[in-house]
Amino acid sequence: MGSTACFIIVSRNDIPIYEAEVGSAIKKEEATHQHQFILHAALDIVQDLAWTTSAMFLKAVDRFNDLVVSVYVTAGHTRLMLLHDSRNEDGIRSFFQEVHELYIKILLNPLYLPGSRITSSHFDTKVRALARKYL
Amino acid sequence: MEPDVSIESGCMLRIAVLPIGTVPQAQLRDYVSMLVRHRKVELSAISSFYTEHQKSPFANQPWDTGSLRFKFMVGGSPPSPWEDFQSNRKILAVIGICHCPSSPDLDVVADQFSIVCKNYTSAVVQRCFAFSPGDAQLEDGGKRGDNLILFPPADRQTLEFHLLTMMQDIAASLLMEFEKWVLRAESAGTIVKTPLDSQASLSSEEVIKAKKRRLGRAQKTIGDYCLLAGSPVDANAHYSTALELARLTGDYFWYAGALEGSVCALLIDRMGQKDPALEEEVKYRYTSVILHYKKSIQDNAQRVSPLSFELEATLKLARFLCRRELAKEVVDLLMTAADGAKYLIDASDRLILYVEVARLFGTLGYQRKAAFFSRQVAQLYLQQENNLAAISAMQVLAMTTKAYRVQSRATNSRLLSLSNETGSNLADGGKMQLQSVVSLFESQWSTLQMVVLREILQASIRAGDPLAAWSAAARLLRSYYPLITPAGQSGLASALATSAERLPSGTRCADPSLPFIRLHSFPVHPSQMDIVKRNLGREEWWVGSAPSGPFIYTPFSKGEPNDGSKQELIWVVGEPVEVLVELANPCGFDLMVDSIYLSVQSGNFDAFPISVSLPPNSAKIISLSGIPTSVGPITIPGCIVHCFGVITRHLFKDVDNLLLGAAQGLVLSDPFRCCGSAKLKNVSVPNISVVPSLPLLVSHVIGGDGASILYEGEIRDVWISLANAGSVPVEQAHVSLSGKNQDSVISISYETLKSALPLKPGAEVTLPVTLKAWQLGLVDPDNTAGKSISGGAGRVSKDGNSPMLVIHYSGPLEYPGKTSTNGSVLPPGRRLVVPLHICVQQGLSFIKARLLSMEIPAHISENFPQPVYLRNNSAEEGIISESKTERLVKIDPYRGSWGLHLLELELSNPTDVVFEISVSVQLESAKDEDISTFIDHDAADFGYPKTRIDRDYSARVLIPLEHFKLPILDGSVFAKDSHADGSFSNRSSSFTEKNTKAELNTSIKNLVSRIKVRWQSGRNSSGELSIKDAIQAALQTSVMDILLPDPLTFGFRLSENGSQQVAMLDSSKESDIPVSSSVSKGSVLAHEMIPMEVLVRNNTKEIIRMSLSITCRDVAGENCIEGSKSTVLWAGVLSEIQVEVSPLQEIKHSFSLYFLLPGEYTLAAAAVINDANDVLRARARTDSPDEPIFCCGPPFHIRVIGSA
Repeated sequence: MGSTACFIIVSRNDIPIYEAEVGSAIKKEEATHQHQFILHAALDIVQDLAWTTSAMFLKAVDRFNDLVVSVYVTAGHTRLMLLHDSRNEDGIRSFFQEVHELYIKILLNPLYLPGSRITSSHFDTKVRALARKYL
Repeated sequence: MEPDVSIESGCMLRIAVLPIGTVPQAQLRDYVSMLVRHRKVELSAISSFYTEHQKSPFANQPWDTGSLRFKFMVGGSPPSPWEDFQSNRKILAVIGICHCPSSPDLDVVADQFSIVCKNYTSAVVQRCFAFSPGDAQLEDGGKRGDNLILFPPADRQTLEFHLLTMMQDIAASLLMEFEKWVLRAESAGTIVKTPLDSQASLSSEEVIKAKKRRLGRAQKTIGDYCLLAGSPVDANAHYSTALELARLTGDYFWYAGALEGSVCALLIDRMGQKDPALEEEVKYRYTSVILHYKKSIQDNAQRVSPLSFELEATLKLARFLCRRELAKEVVDLLMTAADGAKYLIDASDRLILYVEVARLFGTLGYQRKAAFFSRQVAQLYLQQENNLAAISAMQVLAMTTKAYRVQSRATNSRLLSLSNETGSNLADGGKMQLQSVVSLFESQWSTLQMVVLREILQASIRAGDPLAAWSAAARLLRSYYPLITPAGQSGLASALATSAERLPSGTRCADPSLPFIRLHSFPVHPSQMDIVKRNLGREEWWVGSAPSGPFIYTPFSKGEPNDGSKQELIWVVGEPVEVLVELANPCGFDLMVDSIYLSVQSGNFDAFPISVSLPPNSAKIISLSGIPTSVGPITIPGCIVHCFGVITRHLFKDVDNLLLGAAQGLVLSDPFRCCGSAKLKNVSVPNISVVPSLPLLVSHVIGGDGASILYEGEIRDVWISLANAGSVPVEQAHVSLSGKNQDSVISISYETLKSALPLKPGAEVTLPVTLKAWQLGLVDPDNTAGKSISGGAGRVSKDGNSPMLVIHYSGPLEYPGKTSTNGSVLPPGRRLVVPLHICVQQGLSFIKARLLSMEIPAHISENFPQPVYLRNNSAEEGIISESKTERLVKIDPYRGSWGLHLLELELSNPTDVVFEISVSVQLESAKDEDISTFIDHDAADFGYPKTRIDRDYSARVLIPLEHFKLPILDGSVFAKDSHADGSFSNRSSSFTEKNTKAELNTSIKNLVSRIKVRWQSGRNSSGELSIKDAIQAALQTSVMDILLPDPLTFGFRLSENGSQQVAMLDSSKESDIPVSSSVSKGSVLAHEMIPMEVLVRNNTKEIIRMSLSITCRDVAGENCIEGSKSTVLWAGVLSEIQVEVSPLQEIKHSFSLYFLLPGEYTLAAAAVINDANDVLRARARTDSPDEPIFCCGPPFHIRVIGSA
């Protein structure tokens, strides 16, 4: 697991619907903010890049200093974004694929309004477990 | 690093523009704006100023198409250490700007200018432009030969033309200077140095290489000058040489520089062309440029790094390529450039780099990326601890707000219109599509938004911009209060307060802070001033105009076309109105709203401000009022709030959207719900229109508006005063009743109101109304239960039960001052609801009613007992003055009272006052029409003596019921009965029975209504007991006995002889009074033949045949006429006397009795009616037609005394 990682799910309306700091580094509030700023800025690149490929996993699309943004775009244009400093592409791919499955399960919940915040604690636990496993 | 570089910047001449002396800001800006228009001067235009002194080194100068480009450095700039490397970095000319009115002495100006120019050693042309000189200065300046150029005052066009000429002159001078420089450099060679060379040139021993290198560098510099002189072909030639030499000598830095120059020359040469081949070429060459700069970095591992040139080159290429189609390449370049930032030593270089990266991302349309780098810039600025940097940071952050969607409303009118739109959508469509709801709250990156706002707040505090600080703090507090700790919230509140202290009072800010305000409701007009639409052409103009009835939904109103979801609200000019709004303070500090009032855009409304204080985490509903000032529609989009020292406008729609988002779980929190306020359904904003003044009636009850406390059944008059408080007369008015217990209003004086019309403004009319308190127990039985506990002092809740007077009134048919056009709208009328507050107290309570019958046998005397009605009649005719009381109560012992019915009412007084009861019985003349009692009819109320009931006592009141007997038993009572029996068969008997019942009931009601029990308590409380039901119940069973006479009336008398009869009749009046001579009057002697008469009167209208029998019984009840031990002898027929009595006539039958023993005897007559008709049968309550009808007369007592 890399020392820094920030995972975020952005809905098709560009609203973050799930956020998690999954890094092992000591969490500083300032850093968390900076991570989100980087991820937010990367959306601009993702929005263009997503249409140039048929793959869902866009690999590393953006970077700032030594932080890299990897993105996975679902068919519904929900973006799973990971900010990380390690270069373990296969692990990230697996992570995204598994989180995507979890996300689909959330979507299948009739009480979940697509595009609204994911508040399921189960989802959160699973995502963090996956992060430990793959990153 | 330098900002704003591009590939073309290699051909731009830098001119420092400096103010000389004092130049007012506005003037300076004006002059500079005129100057900077001349960024490009065509070569063709300057040929007149150009003189070729020597042969121009710029052999291929394009005189007809080329141009010189200027870059004006307003305020100048310090010399760059790299200006030998890139000649375009040199300040080649200085232009001074002087505002003559503020610098009178031109010598001083000239001196100052020359001093300033000394700083710019590279400048080859200096000019000082002096604007708007005075006459003396003109004269003075005309003689001067130096660089001072005076611009005589003239109109703008002339001035601009003059300036253009001067610029062309400067351009020509520059061109000539360049020629000189190039010629000199070519011949003598020149030393060009860069910071990189300082040590290297010293240590270098390879002289040849160094010489070649120098040559290459000189060629490169000459190329630069060619480029500046606008001759790309010449430049290209020199650059080619330079490239060759630099490559040979491995001078990568200069190689890259020359390559850059050649690309610039290429672009200038192919100006306006944009073919892919050129683009490819540029891209290729620039990649090489970047590569060689990189190489040179490796070469020069020194303190001064040419890294910035590499980054600049990257940025230049990015700027060149900056198009949407090439976004990927540009992004790559920019990311590389951004990565270089961490190797930059100079903070200002990093700043410039980020600025440029942000700008390029912005151009590319990557707003979020741009915002990200702008924020980096702002952070760099904030690291510099000074005011100007803070201002810059603030401005840069303000630019990012759009991408982060935390814009101030002041800069964003779109946001306003958007919120308007969505608001109207909500109102119109009701439920929006979920997706569009979601999109409303696009980009809820609350963490980022908070950080940005906090940074703006921090920057603006440091920059000393209180309004910006206030606005940022307000946005932060309003949008993100759930994410801020209470301490943080208080900090923001104090930031707001301190910012406001530095603002002038009355400052407005576009961004609202707390509190949250939502529309609660538009209170309908208080019932006192309800407005009703007038319905033209109807007498009752208010009917059908307003929805009436308790139902919100009626199936009948559904089809109506005008039932829009928007209701209409009518306000009246000059009459205060109010609107309820709900304020919420979800934060942890006390919020003091200094003033809040409705914001009305239409301008025809005077709003009254009020101040509110909201404790932490609380919501409050307040009423905001105002007065409409002129006719027209009114829209109320929000409120103006003066809070934290700044005036802000709060729109209701914003909060509505927010609440909608909260309902969908898209917004952090619902400010109202977290304050514990109930969920409010969407309030539809009605269409409000203002109409001209209407009359306004104001009512008050004379003697106090409080509830009038009445005892049950109490009757009281109240006077309601109606005053016209409006400015228009009341011309029509109509009073009606509504609400519960309407029958408690006995009378309203309609005429008083009618006669007072038209009621002028200020006029008053008093309307008397008679009230009668209703029965408590009948209204709500619970009350009586409660009453007994509270000891009679309890009161009935006054609302709900009281009736209301509804007065519809209206002014003149047309608006004053307007001629009536046919299509014009009728001014509406109004409705005044005057609740008659009646508080009913338990009064005298009725316990039960009982019917008592009393039977006193009559004594036989010389005359017949008269039927009651006859006696009444005669009494009234005869002695009118006789006290009725006596008559009513007295019972003549000689006549007896057979079948006298008394109604006993048991009353109790649970109150603490004394009641006096008076019973009156009203006689109805209609019943006994054939007896002419009309004389006394109005006095036919029988007054019984008053009964006094003390507190906590009960009493019984007896009411004799003898007056109700009908004189005749005829079919009228059973009219239907007999009729039905005659014409129909048995089938309809049940029907007839019903009819009989109904008839009976009405007659009972008739009877009951004639009995009135009035009470009085104290001086001014009086009323009537309503005990009809109880009486009715008591009378129900025996009503026939009370109402109907027996078909036959029997009477006995002693007959002395027939001739005295008339005299006897005459003396009958005296016989009413008991006489002492009982022997002669009441008793007979034993052992004497007593002649007697029995009188049978037929009370029906038909002939009755019967067999009459007379019996005599002794005290023991034994028959003493017949039987073995009979003690009475008789003469005449005593039994089975067949007689026939014609209708309403009487017959007499004489007989004699001989009493053997003295004692008390009872005579009774009985008759069996033959061929009884239905009337008789009904009276006898028999059904079977065969059963004989037996009629029994009352007993008559006779006392027989022993023969003396």
